[in-house]
Amino acid sequence: MIDRRQIMGGLGLAGVLAAAPRFAFAAEPTDKRLVVVLLRGAMDGLSAAPPYGDPDFERARNGLAIAGPGQANGALALDSFFGLHPSLSGLHDRYARRELIVFHAIASPYRDRSHFDGQNLLENGSAAPYGLPDGWLNRALVGLPQARREGRTDLGVALASSMPLMMRGAARVTSWSPSLLPAPETDLVARVRALYAEADPKLAMALTEAIEANAATGAGGKGGAGGQEFVVLMQAAAKFLAGPNGPCVAMIESTGWDTHANQAGAYSPLTRNLATLDRGIQAMADGLGDRWSSTAVVVVTEFGRMVAMNGTSGTDHGTASAAFLVGGAVAGGRVMADWPGLKPANLYAARDLKPTADLRSLTKAALRDHLGIDEARLETAVFPGSASAKPFEGLFRA
Amino acid sequence: MSLQDAAIAANRFGLGARPGELARIAGDPRGWLRAQLTPESVLPAPLAALPSTADDEAAFARWLATLHLGGADGAASMSGTTAPNSIAAPDGGKLSVEQSYVRTLLPRYAAALQARIDVATTTDRPFFERLVHFWSNHFTVSAAKPQVIALPPSFERDVVRAHATGRFEDMLTASTQHPGMLIYLDNYLSVGPNSFIASHPGYLPEYLRGRMTGLNENLAREILELHTLGVRSGYTQADVTAFAKIITGWSVQGARRPSADGKLFRFQPSFHEPGTHVLLGVSYPQDGVEQGQAALRALAGHPATANHVATKLVRHFVADDPPPAAVAKVSKVFRDSDGDLAKVSAVLIDLPEAWFPAAAKLKPPEDFVVSVMRAMGGPRLTGRQLTAVFDRMGQKPYWAPGPDGWADIAANWIGPDPVWKRIEWADVASKAMATSGTDPVVLAKETLGPNVGPATLEAIKRAESPAQGLALMLASPEFQRR
Repeated sequence: MIDRRQIMGGLGLAGVLAAAPRFAFAAEPTDKRLVVVLLRGAMDGLSAAPPYGDPDFERARNGLAIAGPGQANGALALDSFFGLHPSLSGLHDRYARRELIVFHAIASPYRDRSHFDGQNLLENGSAAPYGLPDGWLNRALVGLPQARREGRTDLGVALASSMPLMMRGAARVTSWSPSLLPAPETDLVARVRALYAEADPKLAMALTEAIEANAATGAGGKGGAGGQEFVVLMQAAAKFLAGPNGPCVAMIESTGWDTHANQAGAYSPLTRNLATLDRGIQAMADGLGDRWSSTAVVVVTEFGRMVAMNGTSGTDHGTASAAFLVGGAVAGGRVMADWPGLKPANLYAARDLKPTADLRSLTKAALRDHLGIDEARLETAVFPGSASAKPFEGLFRA
Repeated sequence: MSLQDAAIAANRFGLGARPGELARIAGDPRGWLRAQLTPESVLPAPLAALPSTADDEAAFARWLATLHLGGADGAASMSGTTAPNSIAAPDGGKLSVEQSYVRTLLPRYAAALQARIDVATTTDRPFFERLVHFWSNHFTVSAAKPQVIALPPSFERDVVRAHATGRFEDMLTASTQHPGMLIYLDNYLSVGPNSFIASHPGYLPEYLRGRMTGLNENLAREILELHTLGVRSGYTQADVTAFAKIITGWSVQGARRPSADGKLFRFQPSFHEPGTHVLLGVSYPQDGVEQGQAALRALAGHPATANHVATKLVRHFVADDPPPAAVAKVSKVFRDSDGDLAKVSAVLIDLPEAWFPAAAKLKPPEDFVVSVMRAMGGPRLTGRQLTAVFDRMGQKPYWAPGPDGWADIAANWIGPDPVWKRIEWADVASKAMATSGTDPVVLAKETLGPNVGPATLEAIKRAESPAQGLALMLASPEFQRR
């Protein structure tokens, strides 16, 4: 393999000058951005992306089935079989613009029904809860190709007031959330930094990264807004990612998806959460401007919910759910699902939507095809033991 | 006489030392801790001043009634399709439903938060208070769910404070019968598929018809996974379903129709799934509320529960990775004493690992803020200010993100953003308190004892102002960890 530096060395100064403008162009093919949105609490995939064309849908959901397209509060049609929840009108527009792929009957390898184990496994990237102490997204960044590291201090950013497991690990990442307090004086920060450098490496590293993150958003005090937290975080993430040397990866969490009771209806938490998700993705696209064309957003949840409504107009914990891949870099406008059906015999454990696809096939494809991570590394370090979950092909625009 | 042990007792087992405290307890730090393992004779004044549990339970229902959502007894939710987009505000303007909710119910949360912090800041029994916070987190009821926004403080008072040095089984039963838990994890809506009410829905108020037709397994699952046995301890989905059936009918007394005896728990025989149910291989033939009580008794006495609780306690007080030998000791005392929490807590004091000088734990945001206030005697903040401070630090008390409560390991709190927010708070608090004339070097020795290192002392001495010296002391690794 030819080393680019050797050629440049041979050309001398002229070569350096000729190569320099490459770094000024936003459209550099390796300059991609990946956003991972984690919906904590288990999103009801059958409401987010209702299979309204399945003849068993209405019966199986006994009262919670989203109506078909054209009816009151009906689904927004994606094709003759699948639709989107009426609160996801922005995503529906992106589907029409071929920027959205909807995945269905998809799940992590987790097959029990504990949120906390399910999220832990989804974040640590092994096939077991607590199977690894750090996160798959961070381990992926450890393998980020050199060309995509150049000029970057932080490879990723978590928009969270504590570092989510998915982003913990050896690769340099930062975190940020809005503040209501005035920024401390620079001199105090410098002194605390010096003290930490001497006495506490972990605190020292965290503070150093915080200082740089604040420089990146121009914040570091009084940036906050009440309510609409998710939308605010998506806007802030876009600010981080938009810069030419911004992090390649952002991770954002959204909570409140655990809809055990009263999940239908215009004012239910699920309806509001979906509308907020829709607005958040719009905010990300708006904030990124031209860079949206080189961005992909992956939306995942720890598991799905039962097919049948429970006794309280909600749904208890289930298995497979839906996932989204949206962005200017996505070869979208389609639903990817090996639909298992909703007849009783086709359900997982006689109660849940059966998983026919592995979330790691989606995340591995995004890491390989969008961020350029070596596929062998995905199998060994990022998602160990995931050989059976082959990356999906062709999810991104060439 | 050991100042070293006194500093560990006050910081690792307590909520941070107040000036003079280390010298007072240095004669017998372990005895000082043991003496705190007694029931509370009088409820602390800030807590006694809070509204009653019945009033907290009714608060959400009253607010709903103002929206004309038609729900009585707190059972209606924000899911009605006829909800107005806005309602009239007292000043003549319009409020969105969310604004109205915040304006009506948040002050109640803020007052309870202020009471919690006032008690933590002034208590002479900080180990007892830490145990209250621990169990409150173990049995999480979170204000993040709108219907229970007002209930976590009542839950903590009625369930946790009352039993913190009592028996685990009693705390578990009280938790499972408290309206906070029954509403937070939906059990008040769960009905047996073969219960009377499932076949006679006409007996339900109209707004509940069609909404209470069968099981909701939320509470049953979390009792097994979080409150008792622990996840991956061997129970199956069939156990979850059976246990959910066993506790059908465990419901709440309608807040607007208080019962004669004032109890808020109400067993509804007509919601209960009839018949014998098998949980963990044991048949429960009892009829009615006794069935659930027997199941809870068995769960409280299960060895997996002892191990689960012991692991969490050792993680909380000793190290993020709990030493197995220490867990085994605590678990044995739990089993041998039939879950006597005074004895279980006392054995924590006897663990040699708990007295290693190296600080193995990072204070979570709430304890950091409280320890600052204990060290400096302030600043005293309003409930609203406290809400904002804790929100930004990522740990709003009574508002955990899920029923598993707050994470209890440093990795959760040591990211760049949370560390930055701690320094912001150290700066703001120091500026507020600097006029008191406190010498930061003296204060560091008063609160951290011999644990304060030379680098921190040097940094404080070189500070350009007393406020900056205080801020450096509060931000120092010795103050952040314990």
